[in-house]
Amino acid sequence: MSYDRAITVFSPDGHLFQVDYAQEAVKKGSTAVGVRGKNVVVLGVEKKSVAKLQDDRTVRKICSLDNHVFMAFAGLTADARIIVNRARVECQSHRLTVEDPATVEYITRYISSIKQRYTQSNGRRPFGISSLIVGFDFDGTPHLYQTDPSGTYHAWKANAIGRSAKTVREFLEKNYKEEDMESDTDTIKLAIRALLEVVQSGGKNIELAIMKRDESMKILVQEEIEEYVTAIETEKEKAEKQKKKT
Amino acid sequence: MFNTPDHHLGGVTFNGGVIIGSDSRASIGGYYVSSKTINKLIQVHDRIFCCIAGSLADAQAVTKAAKFQISFHSIQMESPPLVKAAASVLRELCYNNKEELQAGFITAGWDRKKGPQVYTVALGGMLLSQPFTIGGSGSTYIYGYADAKYKPDMSKEECLQFATNALALAMGRDNVSGGVAHLVVITEEGVEHVVIPGDKLPKFHDE
Repeated sequence: MSYDRAITVFSPDGHLFQVDYAQEAVKKGSTAVGVRGKNVVVLGVEKKSVAKLQDDRTVRKICSLDNHVFMAFAGLTADARIIVNRARVECQSHRLTVEDPATVEYITRYISSIKQRYTQSNGRRPFGISSLIVGFDFDGTPHLYQTDPSGTYHAWKANAIGRSAKTVREFLEKNYKEEDMESDTDTIKLAIRALLEVVQSGGKNIELAIMKRDESMKILVQEEIEEYVTAIETEKEKAEKQKKKT
Repeated sequence: MFNTPDHHLGGVTFNGGVIIGSDSRASIGGYYVSSKTINKLIQVHDRIFCCIAGSLADAQAVTKAAKFQISFHSIQMESPPLVKAAASVLRELCYNNKEELQAGFITAGWDRKKGPQVYTVALGGMLLSQPFTIGGSGSTYIYGYADAKYKPDMSKEECLQFATNALALAMGRDNVSGGVAHLVVITEEGVEHVVIPGDKLPKFHDE
């Protein structure tokens, strides 16, 4: 008997196949990377190449949920739109009922609860997205959370989702340095360097958004990204030369 | 009997911005002053303020719901909301619930499309755009002053003087208006609060 048709059926070895398949859909989405610095949080996404006649401003993979929280996703864009909308409403609802902005953890938990509900309902399928949610709580603490189609969430210092997530995560594990996170520039550079590992043709295919404490989300323009990329390449060349000398 | 901030309030545009002002008295039945320092200028978005009139409870509930809708709209559209949009949200709430509510608003703010604007949202849900407007019980005493002294394209200082004088005159004659004068100056650059205690207000004849 096939156990993968209905979401509400466990397989004999304890799998929810529909959730696993949803995770496969996520692995097909374009890469997104998130880094939590001390005073800045960064989200970067791989920009898929657009058709010649398509206006690439309309392909936005980084969405703000409130003044202090924003997210990027990997997977089915249409599913993400629904989650983003619900999360935006919930952010405002939280402000209305308790007169305080929602913490990043609260909104992550809310999004995860929606995703979990869809893994236990008849006639529905799970959401085919994983998301990276970043922001600052009102006490100034920065956060980075990752959610996946099963409805679990975890906090991370740096993470990646989507296509080539494994490669990017390994790069982050190798190159993440706690001291670097004190500097905004180094935090941003780490995110860009991680994306450059897997993105074709460099800075042109990267979209980056940052948020500093008590400021609103800023999406970097192409020129600013190019500046960082040039700086990274110069540093790389210097490091190679050092290696050759020793 | 319920708390009513019947009083005086107003919004005035000037060259480059808008000033919204009110007094700070809330009373019950015009006999008992329930608060001398109430804030009637509610910020509904970064460059949009709203002055409340009528039943305090109703006005607070409406502005909170409006703040929710305007913030959501702004985040969804990924740009600051238009003043007209904010005023419309308030109007929808007032009109659709006109049986239960007793609250009116003056919405003032700055947006990139039309610059400084002032909108009145009346009790039943009428929306009107004006270069300046006054409202509340105290406003009846200063229609003459406002009509005579307002001129379009004032400087910020002239406008501040106009608004302060208008508030002072209304608070001087209306028994349910008083306390301090709250003024908020909204421009493209930002928002500035000016608070003038009762004894520092301009004095006129017979004071």
